[in-house]
Amino acid sequence: MSPAVDVQHIAKAFGQFQAVREATFEVRFGEIFALLGPNGAGKSTTIRMILDIIRPDSGTIRVFGRPLDDAAKNQIGYLPEERGLYKSQKVLDMMTYLGTLKGLKPAESRKRAMSYLERLELADFAKKKVSDLSKGMQQKVQFAVTVMHEPRLLIIDEPFSGLDPVNRMVVKEWLYELRQKGSAIVMSTHQMNQVEEMADRLLMISRGQQRLYGEVQAIREQYAIHAIIVEGQGDWSRLDGVTQVESLNEQRRGAVRLHLRPEVSYDDVLAAIARDDSLTIERFERAVPSLDDIFIQVAEEDAQEVRWLNRREAEREVEKEAV
Amino acid sequence: MNKLWTVFWYELTTQLKRRGYWVGTLGLPLSLFVFAFGYNFLAGAAAPDPQEVVRQFDFRGIQRAGIVDYSGAFRKVPESLASRITLYDDEQQARADVRSGKIDALYVVAEDWAETGDVRLHTPNVALDRITSAPLEQLFYETVVEDVEPRLLRRLSRPVNLELFNLSRTSRDGTQATNEDADFILVYVFTIVFLLGLFVSSGYLMQGVIEEKENKAIEVLISSVRPLELLGGKILAYGTQGLLAIVLWVGLGLLALNTAVQLPAFQTATALLNIQVPYERLPIMLAYFVLAYFTFAAIYGAIGALSSSLTDGSQYIFVFVLPSVIPLYLFGIFLQTPNATLPTILSILPLSGPISMLIRITIVEVPVLEIVLSLGMQVIGLIGAVWLAARLFRVQTLLSGQTPKWRDLPKLLRG
Repeated sequence: MSPAVDVQHIAKAFGQFQAVREATFEVRFGEIFALLGPNGAGKSTTIRMILDIIRPDSGTIRVFGRPLDDAAKNQIGYLPEERGLYKSQKVLDMMTYLGTLKGLKPAESRKRAMSYLERLELADFAKKKVSDLSKGMQQKVQFAVTVMHEPRLLIIDEPFSGLDPVNRMVVKEWLYELRQKGSAIVMSTHQMNQVEEMADRLLMISRGQQRLYGEVQAIREQYAIHAIIVEGQGDWSRLDGVTQVESLNEQRRGAVRLHLRPEVSYDDVLAAIARDDSLTIERFERAVPSLDDIFIQVAEEDAQEVRWLNRREAEREVEKEAV
Repeated sequence: MNKLWTVFWYELTTQLKRRGYWVGTLGLPLSLFVFAFGYNFLAGAAAPDPQEVVRQFDFRGIQRAGIVDYSGAFRKVPESLASRITLYDDEQQARADVRSGKIDALYVVAEDWAETGDVRLHTPNVALDRITSAPLEQLFYETVVEDVEPRLLRRLSRPVNLELFNLSRTSRDGTQATNEDADFILVYVFTIVFLLGLFVSSGYLMQGVIEEKENKAIEVLISSVRPLELLGGKILAYGTQGLLAIVLWVGLGLLALNTAVQLPAFQTATALLNIQVPYERLPIMLAYFVLAYFTFAAIYGAIGALSSSLTDGSQYIFVFVLPSVIPLYLFGIFLQTPNATLPTILSILPLSGPISMLIRITIVEVPVLEIVLSLGMQVIGLIGAVWLAARLFRVQTLLSGQTPKWRDLPKLLRG
């Protein structure tokens, strides 16, 4: 079975600005695929290229196994980051219209819009104007519009922004349900905890370049260092094999990261703690970095690279002038 | 292209559901009806019956008048004046009635009145609004015209029906005279209706596009529908509602006009009575409206795509609207010499053509060749506008949060 989205070596420039330099990835049916990257990394441009809103300068994109056509467009749900609704329209009328633009017959679109409003407990607002809804309600309506035609591919940019914890849970469950039904979900977000919790695989791009791609857990393992995180009381530096004790600024007090010599195993450390009566332990785990840590690390590497490139460029200019 | 029709239907029904649209569309002709009937009602008491015209004199402050006739000219008071004029045989009694306030004024007609016209007026006190001979004149008039045949009576009441003619122009029927008042009203009304229909529809279209940009709904839309399908659907929808408005304005307006001229109060409004609606030219006017509308709608759509707010859009609109309304600034020249070189050239060029030609064909015979040439130029203008819209109504401009400067336009047009 061909993937929902197959992107091969795409690149896109706007004038002098290279928005996307190189990206190759696929999104499979039945998975939540996270698209990550700092602001201005090229995420939105990549999404717009998948949706054929803009064309890549090079590379190919296939959706449902073929170049995007009108029939395929009808099977995509898109929730852009900068989203909005027709403020002066009635909720049900607007949802019906947007459903028909996705190929639903007007009657079917209206029926589904009503059923989604009922599910969101917004049925009483069907005949109200969109502007009468609170921001959170508008967000929910927007989400309903995105999924009401039951898309096979859902592309959502910051799906949880503006939602309170209860509604965040509602949307999250909805996404799980769609994944369960086999839809491919591309989720672009800055909320790394959501990615860790929800995403199966991820792509991280920075400065238009693909930096990380693969299973979420595998990438975290890839960035794991030979260290453990412990919480408790005692002098951790007394332990054999510990090269450095790094205090962690976590919410819970007393969490530290213990960096280990390469030949020391985690079992050795655990056994040593158990033998030492002066140490008490409440938490013991491998120091697998969070996606937040990885994100910051990659962004910082890129920033360093930019600084280095700028310095090289300046040196070259000086050399040229000297010659 | 199916989605073009989806957009069309949604935009059309949304517009037609707007209360403001119907207020604007029906308000204008309805106000004409209200004006016509209101004026007729208010003027009804004094308005002459067109078939039985009897001149009405203004009695001013006199409600009831008394007459003592020593000349023998006034033998009786007609039925129509019985409630306001009393003939007295006894002058003393009449004077007593003036003093007691039973009558407001007493006219004493001298014995030699037929030769001298002498009449004495008695009032209870000095009241300027009672110093009038109107009651006596009215009685005299009705006594004299009692046996006059109706046709002559009408002329006696309104001896002259003055119409102004300009002999320097050729009228539609080939004679050397045209009624300027009637022409002016007709041209003015048609031009206003045309302009309203044209610019209100196009303006709504542009406003709609800008709102979609401001609301950030545009990105969701263009992920489902191609930009040109979106623009096409909007143009057709706003054009249809504009055309519907014009049909209602013209249809109900003509109905109001035809109703008004039947009303007694308008029998003296010669300009209205002389209006000749050139029904045979309405299809040509319609053709101009359709071509002009699509041209301006394409331009307004493109401007909407460029603009991030309505204020920003206005700086671009002005460039295109100015040539189209130039004929209004030259209205006098068009009315005086509609077939001169300047009106002819303006009526052929795109943008200025529709209104210029509308003015000309309403009042004079325009050679068919000129009309064909002008329509051809409007088609060329339309193609140019569609090309412009196709170059600008694109993702890059629609998703941009900023309005480009004039100097950026060539780059945007090149794509």
